[in-house]
Amino acid sequence: MTPLLRRASFRHLVRHPWLIGLSVLGVAVAVAVVVGIDLANASAKRAFQLSVEGIAGRATHEIVGGPVGLRESVYVDLRVQGLRNISPIVEATVAAADDSGRTFQLLGIDLFVDPQLRSFTPRFDNSGDPAAFLTRPGGTYLGRELAQQLNLAPGDHLEIRAAGVQRELEVIGLLAPPDQLSRQALRDLLIVDISSAQEILEKEGYLSRIDLILPTDNTLAKREAELATQLPAGVELQSKSARAGALDQMTRAFRLNLSALSLLALLVGMFLIYNTMTFSVVQRRALIGTLRALGVTRRQVFSLIAAEALVIGATGSALGIAAGIVLAQGLLTLVAQTINDLYFAVSVTSVVIPTSGWLKGALLGVGGTLLACLKPASEATSAPPRQVLARSELEQKARREVTQAAAIGSGLLLMSAVLVALPSKNLVLSFAALFLFVIGFAALVPSATLGMLRLLKTPMRHGFGLLGVMATRGVATTLSRTGVAIAALVIAVSVTIGVGVMVASFRSTLIEWLEITLAADIYVAPADPGSRGGAKTLDPTMLWTIEADPRVAFASTIRRVRVNSPLGPVLVGALKTEKLGFTAYRFAQGDPDDAWQRFQHEEAAIISESFAYHKDLQIGSTVELSTDRGPETFEVAGVYYDYGSDQGVVTMSRATYNRYWDDPAIFSIGIFTQPGVDRERLIEDLRGRLGLQENVRWVSNRDLREASLEIFDRTFVITEVLRLLAVVVAFIGVLTALMALQLERAREFGVLRASGLTPRQVWGLVTAQCGLMGWVAGVLSLPLGSGLAVLLIHIINRRSFGWTLQMELPLMVLLQALALALGAALMAGLYPAFRLSRASPALALREE
Amino acid sequence: MRHIAIRWRTFGLICVLLSGCDDGSLPPTTTTTTSPPPASAVETMAGGDTAGYRAAIEPREFIFPSDHGPHPDFRSEWWYFTGHLESDDGERFGYQLTFFRQALAPQAQTRSSSWATRQLYLAHFALTDVEADVFHSFERLSRGAAGLAGAGGNRPFRVWVEDWSAESIGVEAFPLRLRATSRESPTIALDLTLEKHKPVVLQGDRGLSQKGEGAGDASYYYSLTRIAARGTIRLGDRSVPVTGISWLDREWSTSALGKGQIGWDWFSIQLDDQRELMLFQLRRADGSIDPISHGVLVAVDGSTRSLRYQDYSIEVTATWRSRHGTVYPSGWLLNIPTASLALELAPLVADQELDVSFRYWEGAVSVGGTENDKPVRGLGYVELVGYAE
Repeated sequence: MTPLLRRASFRHLVRHPWLIGLSVLGVAVAVAVVVGIDLANASAKRAFQLSVEGIAGRATHEIVGGPVGLRESVYVDLRVQGLRNISPIVEATVAAADDSGRTFQLLGIDLFVDPQLRSFTPRFDNSGDPAAFLTRPGGTYLGRELAQQLNLAPGDHLEIRAAGVQRELEVIGLLAPPDQLSRQALRDLLIVDISSAQEILEKEGYLSRIDLILPTDNTLAKREAELATQLPAGVELQSKSARAGALDQMTRAFRLNLSALSLLALLVGMFLIYNTMTFSVVQRRALIGTLRALGVTRRQVFSLIAAEALVIGATGSALGIAAGIVLAQGLLTLVAQTINDLYFAVSVTSVVIPTSGWLKGALLGVGGTLLACLKPASEATSAPPRQVLARSELEQKARREVTQAAAIGSGLLLMSAVLVALPSKNLVLSFAALFLFVIGFAALVPSATLGMLRLLKTPMRHGFGLLGVMATRGVATTLSRTGVAIAALVIAVSVTIGVGVMVASFRSTLIEWLEITLAADIYVAPADPGSRGGAKTLDPTMLWTIEADPRVAFASTIRRVRVNSPLGPVLVGALKTEKLGFTAYRFAQGDPDDAWQRFQHEEAAIISESFAYHKDLQIGSTVELSTDRGPETFEVAGVYYDYGSDQGVVTMSRATYNRYWDDPAIFSIGIFTQPGVDRERLIEDLRGRLGLQENVRWVSNRDLREASLEIFDRTFVITEVLRLLAVVVAFIGVLTALMALQLERAREFGVLRASGLTPRQVWGLVTAQCGLMGWVAGVLSLPLGSGLAVLLIHIINRRSFGWTLQMELPLMVLLQALALALGAALMAGLYPAFRLSRASPALALREE
Repeated sequence: MRHIAIRWRTFGLICVLLSGCDDGSLPPTTTTTTSPPPASAVETMAGGDTAGYRAAIEPREFIFPSDHGPHPDFRSEWWYFTGHLESDDGERFGYQLTFFRQALAPQAQTRSSSWATRQLYLAHFALTDVEADVFHSFERLSRGAAGLAGAGGNRPFRVWVEDWSAESIGVEAFPLRLRATSRESPTIALDLTLEKHKPVVLQGDRGLSQKGEGAGDASYYYSLTRIAARGTIRLGDRSVPVTGISWLDREWSTSALGKGQIGWDWFSIQLDDQRELMLFQLRRADGSIDPISHGVLVAVDGSTRSLRYQDYSIEVTATWRSRHGTVYPSGWLLNIPTASLALELAPLVADQELDVSFRYWEGAVSVGGTENDKPVRGLGYVELVGYAE
């Protein structure tokens, strides 16, 4: 590029600081959203991996049992038979007693064998006292960093809540992690002797698992098989990596969804850049024409525009990456919260910044910018110099292109439809369909705009007279710029509609489902909030007292446990209920009466919709589960709707469960009262009779519904945040596009002023045009937004989680979208209107 | 003897805790740089705090078989089997299988977990292959709970650490079965049935073996000096039927050591004429021998004759340097003028250093010499502690 060209470019950029600034900001916000989500996802995943790997130490395998763990005699037998390199573990997630919400992993180990598997478990230390660790109940070792955070020193006490009961631990010693992985593992570990762990968790006689090292050479398969035969029924050997993989798989769909949403924000950002670049080319058509006439080659002009785009892209990306890192910290909390609520405990406090994370942001930012400038740049260079100089030529060309774009758009929509129709569960394909749909629709926007403007001409004339007609025509005749701006606005607004409708539909589906499913009048459950899968349980003997009360018609109980299966870990529900309780389930497949009979008498199971979807099961299929009696198969008698777990649940009768598992525990009790019973009174009486149990919560079905919705809302906070961020990007986009558009027309307005238009009328004209564009965009975003919602609900959600959601189009979301589009457009018109109305016509005309 | 062992063996336990070694064969690579000097380790667990434990203060009545079982209110206790074995082809072997119990707290607590305990068990297993000139040693450590390790119980004699055990076969203490297997390659294993040939010998004053000046600076100590052994040893893929003789030392105590003692040399000798001899000397830092050292000579009929420090002398005739650089005595002349005995002791294999979590030399020796100028022969075991750094 010659210095002359560079100077011309520089001058242009300097003369339009607003335009350039907003473009950079737009790229920055879009990149920040992508980078932020990416880093938050990566950090959550990494933290989880590290804690799994860190805690696993050198262990390659683990031996696991049924829902309550495995009997300790399994370990003792293996050990006494001479098996080396094995370590018994009793562990659980426990909470700080101070209601800070802080959780810890309580790890019960045998000091004599564990250091062989793990480098960070207690060893003799200056500040330690293994004898005290072994002999004092609750004697605890913890990492130095954690001790510092909690302000604990050896000899201090720490109150925790485990299984709903408050317990006291005594700090015996502090551990200095020998390496980075151990440091990660120690971050929230409270290490106690295995005897203390059993007592604190009330798991006497049982182990959570046995960790072991098997040499990973060619004898591994043989050793695995050999060892497996030594294990009693219901006890299994599995590799650590298989388990970590299964857990990772659980959150994959969730993380992918977040990434896709962040890419939507980027898409909006790209349109914004496209708009800016188009605009800056259009604006300089005279300059470019002159340069070309003077002998500047096409290639040089192309490089000039590409270089400008690069500067905007690079600056925006750099700012975006920095902002993304900051944003990630906030998003990480939300991601971790959701994973905690829905999947498993993960403690993440710091963002990891892998090179790939910011590199991806930079590539998307710079690449996206370059991609977006491709068309405007080639447009500026392809035409012969004389034509470039003619504005009318450009507009005519834009008109011609409207038809082309519409054709391309229709093609993309068709491709999207084909992708949707493919009988695949592939999420990446689904997201591809989603993006094709959005881009295809965007390509249709210019022609749709023309159509709408034609329709609006008459009402505008009646409403605003000549100015109304001028405004309408103005938008249509400057389609080369307004078209792109409106498309950007449409995409941005429709994303908010799509996500908003999806969340609203999900919520209303959940409410309806809760309404029907929570059929009992009173629920009794462990008090600790956030307990998933029934880690905490109720005393089963409570049931006797409850059922003895004449006001109680019957009580159902549920126990949910995770058990192993050839399909990976499966959530199994053990349900004891009467027919009335059973028919509260809504069946997607199967007849409730028939399913009830088989559920009661044939050891058949009913499975949740997501389980059926993920595992391709239907009525008559069988599910194999690892029971305490060894592997057993259960026939599927029905498929029911369940929105409680995206992994799915296999529910069987309590009697069936009791036959295959030695686990008397129950997770919750649902009390069905006789008609006309005062529930508050009943709760009070039962509580009185059962004695004060502070770790048990009694709630009416209404309260439980509310609590469930609260969790739902919490897990969707991150989605809402993303939606808001997309709105911000959209808003900036519209602001840039319209502001630039109007400012560019300074001369036109100068002519109008000179012809007698008052400043007030100029103000009105600019505002009317902006409003018109906002309105067009708002209206066009309704079908795109609804279409997005359909895709999100019926394709993305279905394929990610296996849920059927009843779509609901809340008027509020639609109105909000219109208001957003109109509001953003009007706001964007404020500054240009102010400037244009105040500019002296003479000055404006001198711009020539 | 082996009063002093309290300290050294306790220290051994600490070392194991420190390194987290599961098997003696594993290199103690996990010993961290943050580890304190051994002295503080000894202090922490062995140091002084004997409060709350029972002490060996005065002679007591020994009751069998219950005294074969554990005495959990005393701090330390051991079951010490050593012996010489011979195959049908005349191959000679020495073995050691020792179980140590160490209390971590004086009072038992009522706990609901079966893993809760205040007792540790440590075991050492060594086999000397004389013909091959090879020595193997292994270690096991476990809590005395959950069935992993312990002593007593439903048998008159039973002590075990995981898969290593010594237990009565029937309702009597003897016959007794000893079993130990290394889990490394090549497999070294021992499976012996022991028959008692001579009655219990109560060491010291009716079983109270005084080790220091103060009251309670003593242990309860008895021995079975002649036990017949028959069974199998396993060397890699080879099973070797063997017969031979064994020695059992049982000792329990609480109190710490006298000042200035740095180690000891202990000798058990089984003469071919069916007599046995036990001697020890406590070495002090200044190179002298603590005069409280003593011994016993057991007659054919099991009657005993106490030997005081001044009744015998021990002269070192050779030394051996271990691969860790420790120099051990490796040949001795024992003179017991009052019994007219002069015995020459030589290790059957020079390297019988147990390279476990704490290092010491315990090995099979040959015994030759004269009694009133008539030749006497026999076999023995020697323990050398406190030479290694």
